Amino acid sequence: MNFDFSEDQHEIKRTARDLLGQRSSLAKVREAAEGHRYDDALWTELVALGWPGIAIAEEHGGQGLGAVELAILAEELGYAVAASPFLATVMAAEAIGAGGTPEQQAKWLPGLASGEITGALGEVGGLVPDADAAAVIVLVGDDGTARVVARADADVTPVDAIDPTRRAARVSADGGDPLADPAVAVDRATVAVAAELVGVAQRALEMTLAYVKDRKQFDTPVGAYQAVSHRCAQMLKDTEGARSATYFAAWAANAEPERLPEGAALAKAAASDGARDVTASAIQAHGGIGFTWEADVHWLYKRAQVDAALLGTSGKHRRRLAALLAARLAPAAA
Amino acid sequence: MDLTFSESEAAFRDELRAWFENNDPGRSPEGEDAAYAWRRDWQRRLADDRYAAVHWSPEYGGRGASITESAIFFEELGRARRPLPANVLGILLAGPTIMTFGTPEQKERYLPPILTAEEIWCQGFSEPDAGSDLAALKTRAVKDGDEWVVTGQKVWTSGAQYSKWCMLVARTDVDGAGGKHKGLTYFLMDMEQPGVQVRPLVQITGEPEFNELFIEGARIPDENVLGGVGNGWRVALTTLMNERSGLAFFLQVRLRQLLDELVEEAAARELLDDPVVADKIGLLHMKAEILRLTAYRGLTTIEKYGTPGPEGSLTKWMWSETNQELAQFAADLLGPDALTNGNRWAYELLRSRGNTIEGGTTEILKNIVAERVLGLPRLKGAAA
Repeated sequence: MNFDFSEDQHEIKRTARDLLGQRSSLAKVREAAEGHRYDDALWTELVALGWPGIAIAEEHGGQGLGAVELAILAEELGYAVAASPFLATVMAAEAIGAGGTPEQQAKWLPGLASGEITGALGEVGGLVPDADAAAVIVLVGDDGTARVVARADADVTPVDAIDPTRRAARVSADGGDPLADPAVAVDRATVAVAAELVGVAQRALEMTLAYVKDRKQFDTPVGAYQAVSHRCAQMLKDTEGARSATYFAAWAANAEPERLPEGAALAKAAASDGARDVTASAIQAHGGIGFTWEADVHWLYKRAQVDAALLGTSGKHRRRLAALLAARLAPAAA
Repeated sequence: MDLTFSESEAAFRDELRAWFENNDPGRSPEGEDAAYAWRRDWQRRLADDRYAAVHWSPEYGGRGASITESAIFFEELGRARRPLPANVLGILLAGPTIMTFGTPEQKERYLPPILTAEEIWCQGFSEPDAGSDLAALKTRAVKDGDEWVVTGQKVWTSGAQYSKWCMLVARTDVDGAGGKHKGLTYFLMDMEQPGVQVRPLVQITGEPEFNELFIEGARIPDENVLGGVGNGWRVALTTLMNERSGLAFFLQVRLRQLLDELVEEAAARELLDDPVVADKIGLLHMKAEILRLTAYRGLTTIEKYGTPGPEGSLTKWMWSETNQELAQFAADLLGPDALTNGNRWAYELLRSRGNTIEGGTTEILKNIVAERVLGLPRLKGAAA
């Protein structure tokens, strides 16, 4: 039993944290968000580092690492609230890599790994991040199917979503090429979203701690008041709970795939609610300033809200967990 | 990252499963005293095969189990639905504290009968006016020749009526120079003397699980001071730190079993298709799994880095809150049955209220998290 990253994985996390700290500061995020554009220099750099292909098999030009390494990068990009098509691209790559046919993999994965193209994944009727610029879109239906659609064959309507650090769209398409195993495809993409949410929550917690240690009222740092400090403790509990579930799911994706469905549902349910609560708490703990456009906490809150709605709300995943539990217990009861 | 047990951990788990399979104490008999005797016998069986305290070093009758193996023990104990040993406070609290601070004579005298349940231990820390603010305790010990004479009152002492010994913290320096944490001393007090009166304290379930302890002129010889006169706060903290580990895994499994049983009851009543019910079951399942996973993350942190991470402070909070939520949900789900005395869910509904108080209130746990994990400043007068 070793519920911690390996040395290599820790190194990936440190490197990502350092790099994004320099290249994707909150000032940069603001610049991109207010300018309604992406940080193209950042994406070029991430591509050069091979990040989009981290979990794509080597035979398709990726680095051949696993869902844990991908979760680490997704978490760090969430921590940075980076304005980039990373999550959308790796969700598509995870879905095609884990659930696609050999033909689909050969057709799309090399381009996604090299950064030559970007991808997107989302639900019919939902907000699909970065669909407009993507070359390939994985469309998930509410009947459990998923199909691969080339951008040219999709009807993409850009939406001005509340998260300005990312470009959302609604997507529909008539045709498309069904994935061989849509369940595993969607679950792996779901774990990547959960990982990003863990990073968002972690950043909101850290920003809040720095603020409440510094901000004084009644001659005392507000973080000394239990109304505030207990809120912060709750933020840690929510963040760490989401982290436990998400790391478990990422580990299961490769090591014990039969536990992935439960892991993905656990991770998404915990991370969606956790990140929404933690980022909302961050605004509250920042007081009036937290409600202003000038403060940076709202980027995190908005990202959490939109991510939480991707690939199933927490409620949907809780009902899924209930069904999985009932199915496990049914033979015992019978 | 590898969330499977190592070969030796898996072997230990299998060995435990086989042992529990072959060693079934049966159902707890009716009646407080009979039930206690039953748990005492159970502990003797565990001790005979060196399973009573696997985390103790072999020289004291343990197996020198790693912290993960100790967690596995408690998980398997719960999984097999076997009871905790009668002397659980002796095994988890008194024993490790004596190992840390005891003289060779004390270790030799006290440790063996803890394991065999020959001598039961209770914990004399809290007082009516010193709960979360433990260092405010007023029980006094005054030196008289080579003895100490103790006067005061303790409360929430579970198992006191069966105990031979009490881990007693008392004030030995009443001047209070250097603050209230100074001048405390940790004693090993013989409960079998006229100066110690045990009165059962009936809790909201109607059971007397806890006691009040009235101490009037009780005598403790010098050699029963643990860790030195005036060092009681430090020794007591060692006991309290032990309180928060180990048991978490037993409780985590019990929570899981309760949830599974509730889902089975809900299924039998054909309630699972109700989306509100499913949502709540999913939530409780998620919380139970997060508790288990976070407890395991905590183990890795301790084994790898030597000190507990943030996870350790969170698991008791998570467990107590979820256990209460589960009991409350059972009341919603099962209706009048769960509100009728004698029904197990009615019992859980009442008993679980204590979970967020016993062994450190949730409010104190939040203080600990805020101050020691998050590094937030402490408000004057508040403590963690």
